[in-house]
Amino acid sequence: MRIIAGSAHFEDAAAVAERAAQRPALLQPAAIGALLAAALVLTLGWWFASQARVERAEDAWNRAVIMQLMALGEAAAALEGRDGATSEAALQQLLLELDSGDGYFRVVRLSGSRLLASTASGDRDDSAAPRRLSRDEKWLFDLGQALRAAVETNVSEGVFRRRQMHIELLGDERARITLPFFVAGRVAGIVQAERPRDLGVERPSMWLPVAGALAAWLAIGGLLALGRRRGRMPDPAGRHWGLLAAGAVVLAGVTWGHATLEIGALANWQAELNQGLAARFETLREDVGFLAGVASVSVDPGPGNRWDVDLYQRELGLIRGDGRIQSEAVAADIAARAAGLYKAMLGNFALGIILLAFFTLGAATRTGRALRSNRHAYMYVLPAMFGMLVLVFFPFIYGIALSFTDQTVMNVSEPITEVFVGLANYAQILGDFEVFRSTAAGAVINYQNFYWTLFITVCWTTTNVFVGVSLGMTLALMLNTRGLRFTNLYRVLLILPWAIPNYITALIWKGMFHQQFGVINQGVQMLGGEPVAWFDGVFSAFMTGLITNGWLSFPFMMVVILGGLQSISQDMYEAATIDGASKWQQFWQITLPSLKPTIVPAVIISVVWTFNMFNVIYLVSGGEPAGANEILITKAYKIAFEEYRYGYAAAYSVVIFMILLVYGVFQTRVTRATEATTT
Amino acid sequence: MSGNRASHKPRLQHAWLHVFLVLFSIVAIYPVLWVFTVAFSGQQNLAFVELPPDPGFFDRFRAILPWPSTFSLQNFTDVLTQQPFLRWMLNSAIVAGLTTVLGVFLACTAAYAFSRFNFPGRRAGMMSFLVSQMFPGTLLLVPIYIIITQWLGLGNSFIGLVLVYSVTAIPFCVWMLKGYFDTIPIEIEESAIMDGASRQMIFFRIILPLAKPAVAVTALFSFMTAWNEFILAATFLEEETRYTAPVGLKFFVGGFASQWGYFAAGSIIISIPVVVLFLYLQKYLVSGLTAGGVKG
Repeated sequence: MRIIAGSAHFEDAAAVAERAAQRPALLQPAAIGALLAAALVLTLGWWFASQARVERAEDAWNRAVIMQLMALGEAAAALEGRDGATSEAALQQLLLELDSGDGYFRVVRLSGSRLLASTASGDRDDSAAPRRLSRDEKWLFDLGQALRAAVETNVSEGVFRRRQMHIELLGDERARITLPFFVAGRVAGIVQAERPRDLGVERPSMWLPVAGALAAWLAIGGLLALGRRRGRMPDPAGRHWGLLAAGAVVLAGVTWGHATLEIGALANWQAELNQGLAARFETLREDVGFLAGVASVSVDPGPGNRWDVDLYQRELGLIRGDGRIQSEAVAADIAARAAGLYKAMLGNFALGIILLAFFTLGAATRTGRALRSNRHAYMYVLPAMFGMLVLVFFPFIYGIALSFTDQTVMNVSEPITEVFVGLANYAQILGDFEVFRSTAAGAVINYQNFYWTLFITVCWTTTNVFVGVSLGMTLALMLNTRGLRFTNLYRVLLILPWAIPNYITALIWKGMFHQQFGVINQGVQMLGGEPVAWFDGVFSAFMTGLITNGWLSFPFMMVVILGGLQSISQDMYEAATIDGASKWQQFWQITLPSLKPTIVPAVIISVVWTFNMFNVIYLVSGGEPAGANEILITKAYKIAFEEYRYGYAAAYSVVIFMILLVYGVFQTRVTRATEATTT
Repeated sequence: MSGNRASHKPRLQHAWLHVFLVLFSIVAIYPVLWVFTVAFSGQQNLAFVELPPDPGFFDRFRAILPWPSTFSLQNFTDVLTQQPFLRWMLNSAIVAGLTTVLGVFLACTAAYAFSRFNFPGRRAGMMSFLVSQMFPGTLLLVPIYIIITQWLGLGNSFIGLVLVYSVTAIPFCVWMLKGYFDTIPIEIEESAIMDGASRQMIFFRIILPLAKPAVAVTALFSFMTAWNEFILAATFLEEETRYTAPVGLKFFVGGFASQWGYFAAGSIIISIPVVVLFLYLQKYLVSGLTAGGVKG
C-alpha cells in the first residue's frame, strides 16, 4: 500500500488550486454551524416530544383496553364453578355489553381448551361460543400457555421479568391485547380484545422549532457582529473557542426553553388522558354491575383498583377503585416520564454542541475541503462503502448489542433497551460447566453444553485438517513424480470433489450413509459386517462428517502443495543425492522445509474454513444424535432459527467471533515466524 | 541413490503409483458416479438394484457398483416438467445474475478508488474490508435477517438475497480487483487526462477494458457464490415457488421427503455449469486465496 501511495496517486487540479488560495475562514462556518446546530436540537427535540405524546397515547389506549379485559377476566373467574349454562350466558352478555361494535372480545378457558364467550364475527351461528377451540384456533391455546409460562416464571423467580400480557399490532390501525385470568391464584384462561387503535395524537406544532432556530441564529449572529466590531483578537485559536462558548450559551437557552415548553404541554396532555381513563373506568363499572342481577356475581376492582394495571399486571395506583384520580401518584408518574424527555433533550443539546464545535473549530471546513478535493475517490467508494455499512458493519454492531438482550421471535418488535439482560447470556453460555450430568443411570454427557460443542468443534477441525493435509500431501507427492504418465487426467479426476457445490456433496453422502439402502452399508455387508446405524452413535455420526469433509477438502490441499512442490528446484535434490541422502531424508530436509511457506497459509485458511463448515454438519448428520455432533456455528444457527432465541444466538456468535479472533492473532504470529525463518 | 534407482526401474515404481492413484481417483469420483447412477435409474430409490432375499457377496457387490439396473431419463424429464425445478433454476439464475451485475459494479468502483486515489480514509477503508472477513456468518445472520425481513420488508424476496450476496462478496472482490488495477500503469490514465478525458471516461473506456480478465474472474466468482449459496437462501425464502435451486434440492431429500432420483437429476443439472467454470477458474482462485500468505 505504501509503495503506491508514493507514486501512483494523483489529485484533482482544482484541489491544489484551492489549497493555494485557502484563507482562514472563521465567521462563515461558525454561522452555518450555529444555524445547523439550532435546527438539529429543535427538530430532534420536536421529534422526541411527539414520540413522547404518541407513547402516552398508546399507554392510555392500552390501559383502557386492559381495564376492560381485567374486569372481564375477574368476571369470568367469578363465573367459573357456577352453574354452567347461566354463567356462560351471563359472560356472553357481558361481552356484548362491553363490545363497542368495532372489534371483539374473547374468553378462553385453557383446561379443555374451551372458547367460553366471544363476539368475533366468525364465532356466530354454528360456531358460536361456548364450544371447544377448533384446530385453526390452536394459536389461542398456545398464547394462553405462553402467558401461563410467563406468569409461572415470574412467580417462581419472585421478580416481574416477563410480561403478563401480549400486545400485538395488526397493521397500523388495529391492535390486539391478550392477558391471563386467574382462578384460585392459577392461570385458568385468557381474555382477549381486538379493536381499531385510533390514538388521536396531536403532534406539537412545527412553528416553534423553526422560529426558535431563526431566533437562535440571529442571537448568535448578533454576538458575532459584536465580536467583530471589537476588532481583531490577538489569538485566532482563542477566537474559535470564544465563538464556541457564545454559541453554546445560546444553544443551551434554546434547548432549555424548548424542553420546558414541551414538558409542560406533555404534562397537561397526560393529565387529560388520565381524566379520560377515569371516565371510562366509571362506565366500565356500570357495565359490569348488571352481573349482580343476572348471575348474582359482583365484580369489584377493590380499593386500590386491580383493573388498572401495567404490563406485568401490577396495580398502577393512578385511578382508585372508587373512580377518583390519585393526584399525587399521577403527578409522580408525570414527573418520572418528563425526566425521560428531559434526558433526551440533554442528549440533543450534546449533539448540537458537537455539531457547533465541528463547524466553529474549523473541522467542518477541513472535512469539506477533503471531500471536495477527493470527490471522485469518495464517489467511487461510496456505493460499496454504503452497502458494507448497512449490511456488514451495522449488523455486526447490532449483533453485539443483541447479545446483551433476551430478544426472541416473540418480542422482536420491542426496542433493545426493553429486553436488555446484561451479561446473562454470556454467563449462561460460558458459566455452565456441567458437561456431565449424573442421573440414575450414571453420568450422562449434556450435549447442549457449550464446552461439549467446543470440544467437538476442535476435534472436528483438527481431524479434518489433518486428513486434508496428509491426503493432499500424499497425492501431491505422487503426482509430482517425474515421468509419471496421465498426471493431467488424475489431476482433473482428483480435483472433481472440490468443484462440485458442497451442499450437493453433503446431500450425496447423506444418501450414501443411509442405514438401509446406502451403498456404504452395502459395502460393509459385502465384507461380512453388520449394517451400521451411522447417525445413531456419536462417534459414527462424527465419522460421517469427517469422511464427507475429508473427501471435500483434500483436493484444495493437493493443488496447493503440488504448486509448492513444482517450485522447488531440482538442483537441491541432485546435490542431496550426491551427498548420499536417502529419499526419506530428502523429504524431511528439503521437501518439507521448502513447502512450509505454502502449507502454513493453506492450513491457516483451511482451519477457518473447517471451523465454519456449516453445510457438511447441517446437511449430513444435522448434529445427530441429539445435537451431540453440532459444531459451534451450526449450534448458533439452530438456536437462532429453530429455537428463535435471537439474543442468545447472538451471544453465542460473539463467543465464536472471539475464538476466531484469538486464532487470528495466533495465526499472524505464526505467519510472521514462518516468514522470518524462511527469509 | 534412490534417484538412481528410480531412473533404472521407473516402470515398476510407477506401476505402484498408478495403482494408488487409480484407487484414489475411484474414491474421488465414486460419489459422482453414484449421483449419475441414481439419476439415470429412473427411480426415487437409493438402492441401485433389488437385492434377493439372501444376498451373497456378488449381489452385494452389484449393489455398490455404480451402474443402474435399467437406464431411463425419467428422472430428468420429471424433475424439469413435474417438479418446480425449472422455476427454481430460473430463480437461482435471476439471483445469481443480479448479484453478479451489482457485485461487480460495487467491487470495480471501490477497487478503482482504492487503487488509484490517495484520500483520507483509504487505509482505514481497506483495513475495515479485511477485518470484516473475520466476522462470523451467524453473528451477522440474525441482524441481517431482522434488517432484511423486519425493517426493509424484503423477506422472501430476491432483492434481499441479491443485496446480501453482492455486499458480502465485496471485500474479496475488491482485494482481487485492486491487485489487478495496481498492475495497470498509471501513465495511461495521465495521458488520457492530458487528452481531456473525464474521470468517468477513463474508468469505463480505459480501465475496465484493460482489466477485463480480472473483472471476468470477479464476475464468475460472484456468480458461483450466489449460485451455490444455501444457508441464507434457506433462511430467507419461505414460499416454495421462490426457492433457489440449492434450497429446492434440499427440499427433495430433507425432512421426511426422499425423492433421491429427483435430487440426483437436479444436482447434475445444477452442477455441470459450476463444475466447468470451476475447473476453468481454479488456478485463479488458488493463487488469489494463498497469495496473501505466500511470499513471492
